[in-house]
Amino acid sequence: MIEDDFYRSSSQFRLWSYTEASLQSLRATTNANASERVRSALRKSREAQQSATSSAAGTPAANQNGSDADSKAGGEETEIECLTPEEEHQLVRYFCEQIIELGEMYKPPLPTIVRATAIQYLRRFYLTNSPMTYHPKSIMLCALFLATKTDNYYLSLRQFAEVIPGGTTPEDIIQPEFLVMQSLRFTFDVRHPFRGLEGGIMELQAISQGMGQPAPHFPTQTPDDLKRKLHSLPASPTTSSSSITNRLARAHHNTREILKSAAQMTDAYFLYTPSQIWLAAFMIADKPLAEFYLETKLGGPQQQQQGSPLYELRTKLLRTLTDCSHLLQAYKPLASDPDQKKNLRRIRKKLTHCQNPDKAGVAGQKRIPAAAAAVAAAGDPATSESEMERLAKKRKLDGGQPNDIFGGELVTQRTKEAQQPQ
Amino acid sequence: MPPSRESMQNRGDEDEVCPVCKSSRYLNPDMQFLINPECYHKMCESCVDRIFSSGPANCPVATCHKTLRKNRFRKQTFEDINVEREVDIRRRVMQILNRREEEFDSKRAWDDFLEQREEIIANLVHGTDVAKTEADLQKYAQENMRSIRANQALEAQEASSFQARQTQEQELARLRREAVRQEYENERRELLAGREDVLSRLAAGRPGDAATIAREGQKVLLKKSSARRSEEDRIRQKQAALRNSDARKAGQSGTTAADKAGDAGDTGLIKGLKRIKTPEPEKPYDPFGGMVPDKRDYYTLQDFYPSSYLDPIRQDTRMQAGGYDLREYYSRTLLEAFAGLGCFIDEEVSEREAANTDTAATEGAAIAAASTSPAGSA
Repeated sequence: MIEDDFYRSSSQFRLWSYTEASLQSLRATTNANASERVRSALRKSREAQQSATSSAAGTPAANQNGSDADSKAGGEETEIECLTPEEEHQLVRYFCEQIIELGEMYKPPLPTIVRATAIQYLRRFYLTNSPMTYHPKSIMLCALFLATKTDNYYLSLRQFAEVIPGGTTPEDIIQPEFLVMQSLRFTFDVRHPFRGLEGGIMELQAISQGMGQPAPHFPTQTPDDLKRKLHSLPASPTTSSSSITNRLARAHHNTREILKSAAQMTDAYFLYTPSQIWLAAFMIADKPLAEFYLETKLGGPQQQQQGSPLYELRTKLLRTLTDCSHLLQAYKPLASDPDQKKNLRRIRKKLTHCQNPDKAGVAGQKRIPAAAAAVAAAGDPATSESEMERLAKKRKLDGGQPNDIFGGELVTQRTKEAQQPQ
Repeated sequence: MPPSRESMQNRGDEDEVCPVCKSSRYLNPDMQFLINPECYHKMCESCVDRIFSSGPANCPVATCHKTLRKNRFRKQTFEDINVEREVDIRRRVMQILNRREEEFDSKRAWDDFLEQREEIIANLVHGTDVAKTEADLQKYAQENMRSIRANQALEAQEASSFQARQTQEQELARLRREAVRQEYENERRELLAGREDVLSRLAAGRPGDAATIAREGQKVLLKKSSARRSEEDRIRQKQAALRNSDARKAGQSGTTAADKAGDAGDTGLIKGLKRIKTPEPEKPYDPFGGMVPDKRDYYTLQDFYPSSYLDPIRQDTRMQAGGYDLREYYSRTLLEAFAGLGCFIDEEVSEREAANTDTAATEGAAIAAASTSPAGSA
């Protein structure tokens, strides 16, 4: 089908489509790499701290790494506990919901499509990066700001920053921008199912008014035929039967709600194409209607003999749509689930302990002088010097993240300020 | 006075006798002998006039029955008639087999061709297998008329450009000589003028100034000659630059070689010719890359869809003024409704991952995999 070839040329299909297995293994690898790095970084920072405290006890350097000291108090030799891939995933999902909430705070609220794009950016970012390396709080803001730009919804950075609670400065927001773009492999195009839904509803409305055109593969269809069939559809079990226009409007609304929430919070974008997503959501909203619509396009079960390409496509598509709708239905909003909330609180607490100190200040070169000053104030310039050197060397040896096509940062420092829980 | 070439040629031929009319050079010192490349029998000018003025006739030599024409008679260039004949044959063969080195695949093929040509010439000269060789040659000439002509034109062009270069160089040399002579003259004139000037001043001036005047005169001369020398250098440099650029131009025109030498491929006679690729005629530009612009597989686009949300836009002149067309919206939404409906990611992506030997999902690998991903099942 020609339309499918259009989609195959998109970057979403070429770079950001995964099978369930590959998605899992990618997340596992990312997590493993990140934990490895966090452990070694924390170990080193402890050693450094020990040498610092031994020479000048109670200096600012010790205070600065207070959280490290906490974990050290628990036992020096114990392995640092890192997030599991599932925990990371949950955390990212939490911040995806945060994006939606944050979008509501603007006046007027940010368009759905901007928020959806931001969510997809965040999800794509955390495929190859770990929350332990870059805290989602800062990345989330940056992704949302980036989405306002790529989706043509202009907001100045100042306007954007004003709404955000917690005294975030404009600089904080755009600092990780390049990092985010790089992790997105500079592909900003996100294909959403929203517009496709509008198209489908539009066509169904035309059919309901007897203005439908036959699909290219079924030239025998007539507008009246289609209209009659549509009107004689059995009522969907979830909706009380009323006029067909109302039914369409209700299905439209419900589908849209699903697309706004469940489709964003699950891995649907990675696993399915936008048209599959909206049709699956449409199926959840009004199954007979969705099946009728597919039938007009691909033929019903009785119209086709086995073995024809359209029949094959139809059976495969129905299977895929069912899978996708199961995925969408499995979604439960975090707010409605106290268990998940509790779990999330635990994860965030854990994250404060296993945040990679090397990258803690990712957001900022502006903090380098402050950090350097703090270390220098510890009274041992030699230590700080060698510390910096060693970090640089370590980064060289690590070779950066697999996704870092331009290598890691040139300079980093250790600060804990960025890690306060939101 | 050294003997002229003419007299050298005729020396010792005092008793030469025309085989046809038996008149001897002794009696007629202006007698010229002519030959015809048909049979190479020698006869005197008056015999040619006499026998062939009224049209083609048989050769008057007893055993020769060749028909000769007057216009083919010419003076003999070489003393040895065999050499004369070989040169003629060679010229003729060379004109037909006038392939150039650029036309061959390899040095080897070119050498083979040269050898083959020599062989043909030798065959014709020594009369071995003449009929077959001639037939081959004629056949080749007919088949390759165009390339032969093209190569001839090229050769003529090269010769003429060589000629032109030659004359140009001569002209330049003449100009240089002229300039040098002019300069010499000027210098001499100035020298004389200076000397005269000094003499007249000496004659007019007081005796005490004699030494200073003489010294001044010397100095002026020196200054002039050094100034002239720098001027000369400059001119010479300019000329050299000019010459170089000329040479380069000539070289370029020379190298735009026999690429356009018409028809393709190996003829029966010559092996190892370069295949001449006639470029495919350029197709008209297709902006859609073979796709039919409005062909769709899932839906038929209409010009109008009823929608309470969109209908106001149709009436709104503010929307229409900028060229906004609702049909754009229709086509876009419907395309997005179905784009990718038949892409089954779980199948296609796993296939492309299998094709992708590099398990690390680096960007380059991902792109490569995407480009090799198979066309859809639909």
